[in-house]
Amino acid sequence: MSIIKTTQITKVYNPDKVPVRALRGVDLSIEQGEFTAIVGPSGSGKTTLLNIIGGLDRPSSGDVSIAGQDISQLTDNELIDFRKDNIGFVFQSYNLIPVLTALENVEFVMLLQKRPLAERRARAEELLEAVGLKDKLHKRPSELSGGQQQRVAVARALASKPAFVLADEPTANLDSSSTAQLLDIMAELNQKEGITFIFSTHDQRVIDRAQRVVTLVDGHIDHDQDRRTQPQ
Amino acid sequence: MIFQLAWRNIWRNRTRSLVVVVAILLGIWAAMFMSGFASGMARSYIQNAIESKVAHIQVHHPKFVEEGSTIHYLPQPEALLAFAKSQAAVEGATLRTIVTGMIGSSRSNRGTEVWGISSEDESAVSTFDDDIVAGNFFTDERKNQIVLGQKLADNLQVKLRSKVVLTFQDLEGIITAGAFRVAGIYESGNAEVDESLVLVQQTDLLGLLTPTQEAGGQDTFPSTISHELAVLLDGPRQIDTIGQILQNAFPDLLVENYRELAPDLRLYETQIQNISLIYLIIILLALVFGIINTMLMAVLERIRELGMLMAVGMNKMRVFSMIVFETLLLTLLGVPVGVFLGYLTVSYFGRVGIDLSAFSAAMQEYGLSEMLHLELDPIVYTQIIIGVTITAILASLYPAWKAIRLRPVEAIRTL
Ligand SMILES: Nc1ncnc2c1ncn2[C@@H]1O[C@H](COP(=O)(O)OP(=O)(O)OP(=O)(O)O)[C@@H](O)[C@H]1O
Ligand SMILES: [Mg+2]
Repeated sequence: MSIIKTTQITKVYNPDKVPVRALRGVDLSIEQGEFTAIVGPSGSGKTTLLNIIGGLDRPSSGDVSIAGQDISQLTDNELIDFRKDNIGFVFQSYNLIPVLTALENVEFVMLLQKRPLAERRARAEELLEAVGLKDKLHKRPSELSGGQQQRVAVARALASKPAFVLADEPTANLDSSSTAQLLDIMAELNQKEGITFIFSTHDQRVIDRAQRVVTLVDGHIDHDQDRRTQPQ
Repeated sequence: MIFQLAWRNIWRNRTRSLVVVVAILLGIWAAMFMSGFASGMARSYIQNAIESKVAHIQVHHPKFVEEGSTIHYLPQPEALLAFAKSQAAVEGATLRTIVTGMIGSSRSNRGTEVWGISSEDESAVSTFDDDIVAGNFFTDERKNQIVLGQKLADNLQVKLRSKVVLTFQDLEGIITAGAFRVAGIYESGNAEVDESLVLVQQTDLLGLLTPTQEAGGQDTFPSTISHELAVLLDGPRQIDTIGQILQNAFPDLLVENYRELAPDLRLYETQIQNISLIYLIIILLALVFGIINTMLMAVLERIRELGMLMAVGMNKMRVFSMIVFETLLLTLLGVPVGVFLGYLTVSYFGRVGIDLSAFSAAMQEYGLSEMLHLELDPIVYTQIIIGVTITAILASLYPAWKAIRLRPVEAIRTL
């Protein structure tokens, strides 16, 4: 079973005033263990799609099922809990809580899940080590570089043991070496731990690392290329 | 960790947090100072009234109170006086002969209340002897001397040594009159008293009140006529006990304390707390808007972060509590300091007093003394602490509600 399945989802912004049809019938299935890039020109609907499959926004029509659950039935508060337990997020920026250290940031979601302190601490340290920040545990976000912050965000996204990780342009603010480093970490987590990553990007070097590339144009899927089965 | 998060969040914008803490602190301080001032004023008024005129306890013939006729004098005044003086808590006791009548000078006439007193006993109870601004309080032994208030002296256009005439009914209802010389002029601090009350030696007054004595030999009336026993205690605590003791010893007489004697004083006493509450409410209202404003700023400044928190799974309850917590923490920083400063101020000016002599004319008009001693009922501390805390929580509800109304998508989109 797909961990994400959308059926004919549409999204219309401002339906009453000046309607913007951001998505026009998107059918997308994502399987466990994918490493998928959502690409497309600016305004093609990438963010909109990621928000909807991340349970941050609701489609105007169509169904979204995540890990077998139809999330359109959930209330706002239930959605928050659902996101907490099922989805990891990496945003373009402002990922971290500025007053908490890297370690505390990673622990935070587990705390919301009410996991015991020892487990939290151990997992947070392990994850930060995995993203190469073993020596930055007690640094606050402002003391970290942009690339380091995004790596903490990846660790944070994984902390809750989500079904998949969504990342909307995670490398947009990073220089090329940080971008490469972040992608290495994501790819490694994907290969070794089987973590599902779905990320949007404009960056060709990032696109090149993806196993599957879904291209959006004007709110619909123009192209869906799976490189594992049909290498370029 | 929500608590920890809230604690760290309030230190993100130190200046703003300090402004809130200082506002709370100053609000509390001002509430305490103003309450202390108002209570002190009320207390001063009561104290003045007690010390200058009313005393703590008065004893009368029940009918004297009812009808006001001089014929209802105390049956055994000397025994009563001696008994009162024998009580440990009694600081002073004095017998007064009281008549109402007219006082006239060569220029003018006024209605007046006349007290016939024995100056030594009277000095131990009331403060007229201390309030003398010209002349003396019956220190020379001459007959028919009178002490009156400055205001009455002005009205009658008399000075020291001027002659005035008192006219009133004697015990048989016959109009009688006597000439007196002004020996002293007082300013009691209460304009109404200064305008209407004159004091003479009891023996001089009795000579006019019981003419039969002068006419010779008749024993229709006792040699001493007193209408009032006024008792000053060493403090208000024993009022009820001493009142009861006097009442038991003299069951036929009417024993009253100052609350019963002067209902306005009782009203004043009960209003002290209300005044404090009103000041508190005014200041709390100001605080509400200050807190709402600041916390709203703190929320709006963090839209993205709050959106992110809700995106990654911090539910509305937790976001809401975090904002309430932040407000509460600021309050808890401000309250103890404010209460402590308020306490220091109130107790310092309670001891030393505030010199209000610059406004003495107005103060006297209202029967207040020039040194104002702040005082604060301990209950006010509780009211302030609880009031400010509840206010802070209430004021944080709106910003907290604003925070949970944020939709994560929109909050994050403002990137
Ligand atoms: N909240 C909104 N209100 C109105 N229109 C919106 C809103 N969000 C997005 N849109 C519009 O919907 C369309 C899709 O936007 P979206 O952000 O999904 O594109 P995108 O592919 O992520 O673009 P980019 O590469 O620039 O991030 C655009 O035309 C955009 O202007
Ligand atoms: Mg986008």
